[in-house]
Amino acid sequence: MRTIILVLAAQIALLIAAPLGAHHSFLAEFDPDQPIQLRGTLTKIELINPHSWFHIDVVGSNGEVESWAIEAGTPNTLFRKGINKNTLPVGIEIIVDGYRAKNGTNTASGRDITFPDGRQLYLEGSAPPAPE
Amino acid sequence: MSKGKLHGYCVYFIIAMFGAIGTVWSQAPPSFDANYEPPRTPSGQPDLQGVWSNAILTPFERPEEFGDQAFLTEEQANAYQEQRRQQTFRGDRTVDVETDVSHAYNDFWWDWGTELARTRRTSLIIDPPDGRLPALTPQAQRRREARIARRAEHPADGPEDRLLRERCIIWDGNNDSGGGPPMMPSAYNNNFQIVQTEDYVLLLKEMVHETRVVPLDGRPHLHDSVRQWLGSSRGRWEGDTLVIETKNFTDKTYYQGASEHMQLTERFTRVADDVLLYEFTVNDPQAFMRPWTAQIPTVKLDGMIYEFACHETNRGMVGLLSGARAEEAAAREAAGN
Repeated sequence: MRTIILVLAAQIALLIAAPLGAHHSFLAEFDPDQPIQLRGTLTKIELINPHSWFHIDVVGSNGEVESWAIEAGTPNTLFRKGINKNTLPVGIEIIVDGYRAKNGTNTASGRDITFPDGRQLYLEGSAPPAPE
Repeated sequence: MSKGKLHGYCVYFIIAMFGAIGTVWSQAPPSFDANYEPPRTPSGQPDLQGVWSNAILTPFERPEEFGDQAFLTEEQANAYQEQRRQQTFRGDRTVDVETDVSHAYNDFWWDWGTELARTRRTSLIIDPPDGRLPALTPQAQRRREARIARRAEHPADGPEDRLLRERCIIWDGNNDSGGGPPMMPSAYNNNFQIVQTEDYVLLLKEMVHETRVVPLDGRPHLHDSVRQWLGSSRGRWEGDTLVIETKNFTDKTYYQGASEHMQLTERFTRVADDVLLYEFTVNDPQAFMRPWTAQIPTVKLDGMIYEFACHETNRGMVGLLSGARAEEAAAREAAGN
């Protein structure tokens, strides 16, 4: 059994190391050397294809407001998980962990989105069970 | 050896044999009900209509560690499934940063499915018996190397250097896996809808809105000179199985290394109220050393299919091309200093 688990762990390591199949290459768009955490007020949600976008206003260290665009998953997956414009109202505060875009604009991937009370946009997959 | 001792060994042997048979018995892979009667359309065809999901944790190729094991035992399957859920779905960040960026999102954004096929197969590929892709022919290998070299040299000069899915044309995969048909699962939108009439079957794949209108009336394929992204599909019923033959592909899709001469045979069989068994065979002597077949038990989805209007706001393409320009500018500046 121990062998099986070790083998499985090795396979999973390989699986994780393999690039994952998103609509586009994140490595081409976002910079691994620029991890970023942003805390700001949600100003707009675009539930659009192929990726949704969350827009937030962030107060910078100089006190000025910067607008950031956060790339998120496909709207279809969000709908199926019960997320829509009513469940994420404009005006709430969110914390975004992600990576900044390589092109230097105020754009980032939204890897984790956290509410001030600690809840995260983070759930199990929603696909139906596999068949017999 | 005394007679009594020999007798004792025989008893142990018989008990051990029964134990082994019993273990195998209890671990026999689940199968579908061969006597299942599918619902039928008014014209008497099996009714395959509805939305089906092909999201599945079963790997495409059998991991080498499973050797010649085509099916997992129940214990192995439970462990494997749980490990894959935990390791791939929890947003684990104990990985190198490039892998983390490749993940890009946590599981909230992904929808890979949550279970292995309950057939407990170790791979989607069911033939060859080793569950792995056959070798490419030398010419297909050369084509692959040329594609990879071209990509390395021109990663993002313009949109046409990028993957077909990034261009919202059809879904293709990483690692030069190319695009379908066949209908393969990916990170999300793993759903397709079937609509039937007596003379046509309509297939709509949610991911990158791939649509096929398949005649069932016996008409010939398009002329060989007409090549299409999704090929030319013609269907027929073999008993209660819908069979779709597709050819006339282009050289831009190269599914798993296939050439434009790939002949694809897809089989759809409703094997339970909630299961549509999807099998496909790739036959392409110019690309593979032998034909191969994969199987995905797709599951009825209690919900609708959504539009995936990929071109709607494809900002990712702008982001990655401008990212490439920014990197080039930084490299020039570094070289000048």
